[in-house]
Amino acid sequence: MGALQSAPGHQEYIDLAEKTGFSFEQIGVLHKRFKQLSHNQETLRREHFNEIPDLACNPIRAQIVEAFFDRRNIRQNGGGTVEEIGFEEFLVVMSHFRPPSLHMTNEQRENVRREKLRFLFNMHDTDNDGTITLEEYRHVVEELLSRSGTLEKETAKSIADAAMLEVASISMGHMEPDEFYEGITFEHFDKLLIEFEIESKMNIRFLNMDTTTLCK
Amino acid sequence: MAWFSPPVDNLLYRCLSVSITVWLTLLFVFTIVPAVLGVSFGIRSFYIATLLKIFEWATLRMEMGAKEKNQELYKPYTNGIIVKEPPSSLRELRGSASCLRSEPEFEMADIFYFCRRGVESIVDDEVTKRFSAQELESWNLLTRSNYNFPHISLRLAALWGLGVLVRYGILLPLRVTLAVSGISLLLVLTTLVALLPRTELRFYLSEKVHLMCYRICVRALTAIITYHNRENKPKNGGICVANHTTPIDVIILANDGCYSLVGQVHGGLMGMIQRAMVKSTPHIWFERSEVKDRHLVAKRLSDHVADKTKQPILIFPEGTCINNTSVMMFKKGSFEIECTVYPVAIKYDPRFGDAFWNSSKFGLVSYLLRMMSSWAIVCSVWYLPPMNREEGEDAVQFANRVKAAIAAQGGLVDLIWDGGLKRAKVKDAFKEEQQKLYSKVLVGDHDSRDQRSDKCSEGENDKDAAEGQ
Repeated sequence: MGALQSAPGHQEYIDLAEKTGFSFEQIGVLHKRFKQLSHNQETLRREHFNEIPDLACNPIRAQIVEAFFDRRNIRQNGGGTVEEIGFEEFLVVMSHFRPPSLHMTNEQRENVRREKLRFLFNMHDTDNDGTITLEEYRHVVEELLSRSGTLEKETAKSIADAAMLEVASISMGHMEPDEFYEGITFEHFDKLLIEFEIESKMNIRFLNMDTTTLCK
Repeated sequence: MAWFSPPVDNLLYRCLSVSITVWLTLLFVFTIVPAVLGVSFGIRSFYIATLLKIFEWATLRMEMGAKEKNQELYKPYTNGIIVKEPPSSLRELRGSASCLRSEPEFEMADIFYFCRRGVESIVDDEVTKRFSAQELESWNLLTRSNYNFPHISLRLAALWGLGVLVRYGILLPLRVTLAVSGISLLLVLTTLVALLPRTELRFYLSEKVHLMCYRICVRALTAIITYHNRENKPKNGGICVANHTTPIDVIILANDGCYSLVGQVHGGLMGMIQRAMVKSTPHIWFERSEVKDRHLVAKRLSDHVADKTKQPILIFPEGTCINNTSVMMFKKGSFEIECTVYPVAIKYDPRFGDAFWNSSKFGLVSYLLRMMSSWAIVCSVWYLPPMNREEGEDAVQFANRVKAAIAAQGGLVDLIWDGGLKRAKVKDAFKEEQQKLYSKVLVGDHDSRDQRSDKCSEGENDKDAAEGQ
């Protein structure tokens, strides 16, 4: 009789909505998308992401895909990555890109901002030691620039180094000759990007359904 | 108890034989005779109109049910889930960063931008959603397309149950009988016609036989087809090109004209049908090994096209089934042959039955059973004016031009992506194209950046050297 479509259970959605801040509609839509990507299985794996053609052309696709499996982003304890994620984890990662609600207090806005910054920070800080070392930063910049085919790895490396030096000089001011700059901490990261309005720029805009037509 | 059974048996036999006779007579009078003669009683249009009214009522009941429970009805997003930022916004993002002079901000802006674009593609991309069935906005009483299960009231469930009975108890057996008779007639008659010598009469008869069998098959699926612009119908010595949604496309098109089909040689029933068909009309069947040899394929197609007595070739350049919301990349092979191309756009109405064959989900037989147990297959076929390759246009550009025309007529989205992405990864050549676009944005800024970074590191190096590091 054809495959029975499983209807979205409102009870589960209430829990997820509270946890992630998405509306029921958005959760329903994302659930459909999750099933589409995972070919109707319960969990998503890295190879499922690799099937999206648009993503294949993105220079930092490896980092983006890893971000979905990073324990820090899916709010699990410990560092490192997992092999597969369920719908709840998918939603938790997606909630970093949730559009901000219209009425937010300054404190809420600050929290949202820190959350999004954390996501970006985790993308750079792969060994989870709380700082972005030169190696790590270099790695990301190299991926971005050399995968886009623009520059050679060497040039990208020197750009990363120069950028790091600038960061060091900004955050530490004048350095003693034997002082060693360990890396960018989260606070420095925050300060660096203070000008960027991350809370309004780093989000996905959902198309709005006209809910008035439903309640005729 | 032996004396008791015969009267019951007799009664049973009589009932059965009467009903079968009635059934077959009705079948013969209402479907096979019109199919042979090419006329229509209008029963199918009446059926469709009634069905539409029932579906509207069903959707209304569901909406009311949902409203009573104060819940929202799940409706699919037909235009995509999210608003995607245009690619030029990278410049804007950098623009806001350029007021800051330090290096890291530039990289941050890029990373952020690509991060967001990456997540946007994960949530909604143009390609993966074309490989699963299109979602409907109203319910057509088929379980397979229902997403609002909790909102079905008792009355609606009863109607649905009745629908199931009608579809599986009456329509399905009817259709299967028709399909079987259609195919066996095809086999028998084409073999008979093949016995005749090669004369005008044979061509004429084989055409008639093919048309008749396809008409029976169309009725077997309860397909209601509207042909538009028949003056543009493909003529001999040309290639007919259409968008591909399902193997049934062939039956839909061949119902109105005779085409030579192109395909691989299969075994089993399909193979038998292929061999029978090729006896009376020239179809082009390839062995599996020959398919890889592109020159051989091209040669056979050109030879066929050069012979003006042979029918137009029917080709589906997408190479795979797409869900009828878009048209994907046309493979250039068929556009390299020097001849007129007759584009045809086929659009299915998904309300009566989803015609898309998701080959990763269903095999051919289960797909056909699903087709035969839907309400009907309603589609429109538009014959577009013939096109020729222009001066200085290569095969790829010509293919894209034809594709755009088909997409525009059928109301489908015109995509540049390859339908082969259903099973394979993006080709590196295509990835490089995309990268070049990005690098254009990047390189301009990098020249000025390089100079500044050199100066910066020089400055630092000098300082270190001076401090004796």
